[in-house]
Order: sequence, then structure tokens, then C-alpha cells
Amino acid sequence: MARKVLCVAEKPAIARAVATHLSGGSFQTHAIRGNKYVKNYEFDFNFGGPWGNCSVTVTSVLGHLTGLDFERQYKGWLSCPPGALFEAPVKEEVDKDKLPIAENIRNQAKYSKALFIWTDCDREGEHIGTEVLNQAKSGNNRIEVKRAKFSNTERAHVLRAAREPIDLDEHQANAVAARIELDLRIGAAFTRLQTLQLQAVVAVLKEKVISYGSCQFPTLGFVVDRYLRVKNFKPETFWSIKVMLQREGKKVNFLWKRVHLFDRAAVTMMLERCLVAKEAKVTKVNQKPKSKWRPLPLTTVDLQMMGSRYLRMDSQTVMKVAEALYTKGFISYPRTETDQFDKAIDLQKLVEKQYPDSAWGQYARDLIEGKFRTPRSGRHNDQAHPPIHPVSWVSPSSLNANEKKVYEFVVRRFLACCSEDAKGQGTEIEIQYGDETFHANGLIVLERNYLDVYVYDKWESSQQLPTFEKGELFEPTEANIAEGKTTAPSFLTEPELIGLMDANGIGTDATMAEHIAKIKEREYVVVHKRGSGRNAVEELIPTRLGIALVEGYDNVVAGLPNSISLSKPFLRKEMESRMLEICSGTKTRQEVVQQSLDMYREVFIHTQRRIEMLKTACRKYLVDEATG
Amino acid sequence: MASADQLAAQIQASKGLCVSPAWVNNFLASNAQRNIPASALTKTAIFRILASDIRESLSPNPTSVFPANIFDPNIRERHLQGPIPVQVLDIEDIGASLWSQVEAIERVERGEAIRGREIVRTISVGEDQEAADNNSTANYTTGALNTPGSGGGPHRLVLQDANGQRAVAVEMHNIEGLSIEKLSIGAKLVLRNALVARGMILLHPACATLLGGKIEALDRPWKEGRKARILERISAVGAEAS
Repeated sequence: MARKVLCVAEKPAIARAVATHLSGGSFQTHAIRGNKYVKNYEFDFNFGGPWGNCSVTVTSVLGHLTGLDFERQYKGWLSCPPGALFEAPVKEEVDKDKLPIAENIRNQAKYSKALFIWTDCDREGEHIGTEVLNQAKSGNNRIEVKRAKFSNTERAHVLRAAREPIDLDEHQANAVAARIELDLRIGAAFTRLQTLQLQAVVAVLKEKVISYGSCQFPTLGFVVDRYLRVKNFKPETFWSIKVMLQREGKKVNFLWKRVHLFDRAAVTMMLERCLVAKEAKVTKVNQKPKSKWRPLPLTTVDLQMMGSRYLRMDSQTVMKVAEALYTKGFISYPRTETDQFDKAIDLQKLVEKQYPDSAWGQYARDLIEGKFRTPRSGRHNDQAHPPIHPVSWVSPSSLNANEKKVYEFVVRRFLACCSEDAKGQGTEIEIQYGDETFHANGLIVLERNYLDVYVYDKWESSQQLPTFEKGELFEPTEANIAEGKTTAPSFLTEPELIGLMDANGIGTDATMAEHIAKIKEREYVVVHKRGSGRNAVEELIPTRLGIALVEGYDNVVAGLPNSISLSKPFLRKEMESRMLEICSGTKTRQEVVQQSLDMYREVFIHTQRRIEMLKTACRKYLVDEATG
Repeated sequence: MASADQLAAQIQASKGLCVSPAWVNNFLASNAQRNIPASALTKTAIFRILASDIRESLSPNPTSVFPANIFDPNIRERHLQGPIPVQVLDIEDIGASLWSQVEAIERVERGEAIRGREIVRTISVGEDQEAADNNSTANYTTGALNTPGSGGGPHRLVLQDANGQRAVAVEMHNIEGLSIEKLSIGAKLVLRNALVARGMILLHPACATLLGGKIEALDRPWKEGRKARILERISAVGAEAS
């Protein structure tokens, strides 16, 4: 009898893909009792090395197996003061609906020599892996445990992952465990506190749970911050000097180096000094090659930003679609921070796979026949996954509309990465006129290169400039003052919000879309459509409740030295950077949980003491303004 | 012990400041007991002058003060020979909108100017920053791009001479140290051969030497009241427009 190996993936579709590739397509499928999604696939496979030929069962979980919750006596909303939840005992238990899946793993483990974990290779996957491991060990204490390292479900890649197993990364699993405990305690404590207190104040909140999340709130904070900036904005007049010259039948407009000033008298005086000087002198004539750089390899944040900008989908949808494309083996793992390709990846082979496509197949061919360039490298590497790239070609007819759009974007982006930059010739003329400096710029696009396939970027030739010589004097045809007004910023859009979350260090690339979905679901923000057709923009507007919460929490800490509002990103940012310290092994899970709880407990105490601030803000926006 | 005349001459030679005899005598009298070397004494005197109100410390000689009609907008252009020592009574950034300055002040009030507490509030979507920088599509980075707090400019100043007469000045070329953050109210400048156009003194590094200093009694209320003054001006502009 051959050795038996149990493989466990994170979701059924991955289990099926792994089974298909390892078995070469012929396996037996067994249903498991109590869950209709999870299946066991059985077949033989030669792992090579010490394991050799084995009889294999591939199965899966459905994401996390267990959940963390307070002991029963703390579960009731009025069972304890909310602040007690910072210390109340918690326990980890298999979710009720996951019990049959856990049992399946225990049973299968009993007869297996080894457990082979195939969860996604990221922090969350590492934690799910340890959950699987715990179940397997309770079924068979002596089971040997390995982990597959893979970033897509293409056949050769899966086969190699099966033959080159690695070990689970406990640090990463611990970071997730810490995050789960912190989210539970901090979330429950603040949610109970604010819900109980605010329900009593405002009638419309009577039946509502006002949930708090340490990521959601700073996310909401950005939306409210921008909203208030738009609302409070005051337009102001500015003045600028415009200089125009007619030459060779062309009108050349020179732009003022100062752009514009907010003092009319000063601008008038400056223009007069130009006019008195009569002649302008050409101080610079620069002809230089310009290029527009091809994009960097694609990361999750970029995919979400570009997706909501160019593909007209919200970031959560983009991620779901990308996930589906990954599961089906068309693109690599879509959760990655890496924007540099490893030298070991055969990029040309990936380009060749796109030959059959009617839209960009020829472009791919041209790349391989001499135009291929090594992609630029960004500065990020999560050491787990390559940048998002197409793994195989798929006919558009076998994809739905959204899948088609995301797949096309991923492919075009990848081909653009492997192309030459766009090249052009730039001309820059600078003149001195009176005391002022002006300039005119021209651009001729000579080679479009990557722009031909990356239709999302624009770079176009400007009007051609007439000839100027350095040192020459001329009298401008016109010089006058133009008046303009400052305009308010626009409301926040989803791609911007993702960019802000990323730049301010809240949420991991994998979870940002969820947090945005959460604050919509909680009715803290709503989506408004502005404009129509191709120019339509979806803007995020906070609700009265959303504004009240942010203002309330800002007022809670107003004037307190060194206290940071929950609507600001810093507390969460700090927590996330501590997670990284667990991953690198410089801090333990317990240390990080304690430090982070202390940090939030301080804000919690302030909030309790100054709860009137929160109540006042809610009354202001939900009672006074709503009725006024 | 240096004589009053020697000291005044040294200050004139090194800083272009024509110190008033009464002030010098007073200064020497208050330092008479202490045996201070001449060079240190000159330094102390200059330091005191920079912290003083020049209406009290300097002599208003006809060549070292503004002409009486300096503000006359009918005069297109004229020269001020000088040197004219002046003190700054007000400074404003005319390259940035008033509102953006209020927003910058509020960021500081909220503690966001502290290192590590900065919040990124705007992000350019669809253009990776590195590429944008390198493509130099927008190469004319001027004061007018005014990232608030960067000192931006150009600045408009209100200057006062030793007679107490005021004049408006415009920073035509960037002068090192001239910014709302770095310059204190009461800071001293010496103007040499400066141009005045339509009642505005044109400041260039060549004609304006920044000596620094401040008048504490003016500087603090100016800083504390700055936001309120800007807000007041904004609402005045709003009232005009409506």
C-alpha cells in the first residue's frame, strides 16, 4: 500500500485545480457529509524525493475554519461594561457551519502519513494553514506537515509546487492571530460603547448597531475629511500674465513661470514692467528627447485603483473578478505588493501565450520578434508573489463581461511592461520679459511603443513650435492679464481612497476593498454618481451619521496632548507596522497584542469620559440638522 | 572702553545701520560696569538692535528713510539710493490662496505637522509618481505650485523705516530666509539701490540684505492672530463677491 498524502486548499476551486493538474485529469470525486461545496478528490501521484508515489486526497476548507469570540458570559451586550472586553477571556472555536469540514480533515488525517497545505500564499493563508494543521494533528498526532509555495494555478507551476514543498511560516500565522484578537476586542468594546450611548440619545439610532472597526474608521475619516474640505471651500480670484506671439502663422502662448498670484496690484505692476521693457529675450531653447515610461508591474493596489478608474467597477468587484480569473488559472495570484519581476520568470514565454488573441496577439508577436524589453522594477517586494500577470491565454468568449475587462487589463498591462517606453522630442523655450519669465513647451511623439497596447495611457503631440534662437529679441503680439478663480477639490472617489489608504498605511492591499464596502454597508457613506456616460464619476459622500461620528471622535481628543482621534490613520498604522514585526520575528504575538490594546484602551478611556462630545455631534447632525 | 562714536561707526560699517546717539549712549551706560572686549560689545549691540524697534534705535537720516510719497502709485519707477534699514511689520504669501493657507494652519493645529503624524490627503491616480517625475511633463515647479508650508511665495511685505513710515514691498526674486515660517515680525532688512514701482518696493537679493531679528511684542500677537486675520479677509472677499 502506497503512502497516503492529504492536500488541503483554501477553497474548493483551488482543490479541484490542484487535483486536476496532479492527477493529469483523472480522479475520483467524493462528497463529504454535511457540506455540499467541499469535495474530496482522490488519485495517485508521484511526488518524487522521499515521498515518492503516493495515494493522494485533495480537499479544501472554505476560508477560515475557526472564529474567536468571548466566553459565553461576556456575549450579552449588557453583560459587562464595554471596557471589560479589553481583558475578557476569549476562545477559538470551529465555526458551526465549518464543523463537517473540520471533521473531514480529522478523518482523512487518520489514514495519512503527511499533510500538504495548499492555502493561498499570504498571511491569511498561513493562518488558515495552521487551523488546518491543528485539525489534522487532533486526528493524527504524528502526521508530517508541509506547505506548497505557489502563486498561480497553471499546470507546470502547480506540479513544481507539489515537488518542492516548504514549511509553514508560524510568524505570519501569529500576526494574523494577533490581528484577529485585536479586531475582536477593540471592535466589540467601541461598538458596544458607542451603540449603547448613542441609541439613548437619538431616536433614529434606536434599533441600529453603530459598529466600530479600527480600519473602517480611518477609512471613513478620509471620506469625511474630503467632504468637509469641499463644503468649507471658499473660492478666490487670482491673476496671471499671458503672453502671445504670432510667428510663422502660428500662435505661440507663453505661460508665466509664477503661474498666477493672488494680488492684483502686484500682477498689474509686473505686467507694466513687461510692457515697458517692450522686447522679450529668448533665454533658453532646449531640444531634448522625452520619453513616457511604460508602467510598472501590476500590484493589487494598482489593480484596484486602475480598475475602478478605467474599468468602471468598484474595487471589491475588481478583486472578486481577479480572484475568479486566478482560480481558473488565467492570471497569477491577485493579492501582491510586488512590483518587480523575478529574474527567474520566463517572461517571453508568458508573452508568447498571448499569440492567439485577435486584439493583442500581433503585438505580442512583435515583442518576441525583437521589441521585447525587460520590465522596469519598482521598489516593492512582498517576497511571496510576483506582480499580477497573465498565466495563460483565454478566449474572450469563455469569460463574462467583467472577467473580460479585468483579464484584458492585466494582459495589456503585462505586455506594456515588456515593451519599450514611448519616445518623443520635447522643445522648451524660455523667455525673459521685463522682470518676468515665461515658457512655451512643445512635444512631438515619435514612437508610441507601449502606448499601442496600453490604451489606458494618453500622451499626444502638442502644436509644433516655430523656430526660436537663443538670445534673440522679439516684441510679443499680445501681453495681458487673465483672471481666474480657485475651485474646490472634488469629492473622494474610490480609486483615490484606495491610494490614500495605501499611502497612509491602513489596511493591507488585500483588505482595503472590504473596508470600503463595510463603510457603505454601515451607511456611513453613500455613493453618488456625477456626470453621465463615459465621464460619469462615482463619488463617496458621508452620511450625517458618518460625519457625526468623525466629528465626535475628533472632539473627544481635541486639546488632549498626544491623543490621536480614531478617525485618523495613525493608531491603525502603528498596529499594522507591529504586525510586520511579528512576521519578521522581532516581536511576539503577546507583546503586540498587549501594546496595541494599551494604545486603544487609552482612547477608550478618553471616549468614555468625554462621551458627551460624541452625543453632541450626533444630536447636531441627526436631530438638529435633520429637522432644521 | 570703546567710545560711542567708534561703536556707531562699526555698526554702520558692518551692517549699514545708522544707530541713534541716544540709543548708543544708553547701551554703553547699561554695559559700563562690565569689562567687555570691543568686538563682543559690537556684537551685543547689533543683537540688541535686531531685537529693537528701529524707530527707537536708529537715526532717521534723510538718506536712510523712505521718501514721504513712497506709496504714490502715479510714479512708474524710481530708485532709492539708501542704504535704508527697515523692519518687517507684515508678510503674506501671494502665491497661495488664503484658503490653502488656512488649511495649512489647521493641519498644524491638529498636530499633523509632527513627524510621523503627517496625513497624505491627495494622491494622483493613474500616473505613477516616479514616472511623472522623470517624464518631466510638468517641469515648471514654481512657488505657485505652493505646497502649503513650503515657503512658497512670492511674498508681499509691509516695511517700516526709522521714521515709522510704512511701505509695501514685493519679493520679485526669491530671497533666502524670506518665508512665513522663517521670518519673524520685526526682522530687519537693509535696502540698497532698490527700485520702487507704482508705490511697491521691488525686492531682489541684490538690493535687499536680510539681517534677521524680531520684535517679540509684535511677533507673538501677529502669529497668534494670523488665522483669524486670514479668515476675516476671506469673508470680506466673499461679501464683496455676493
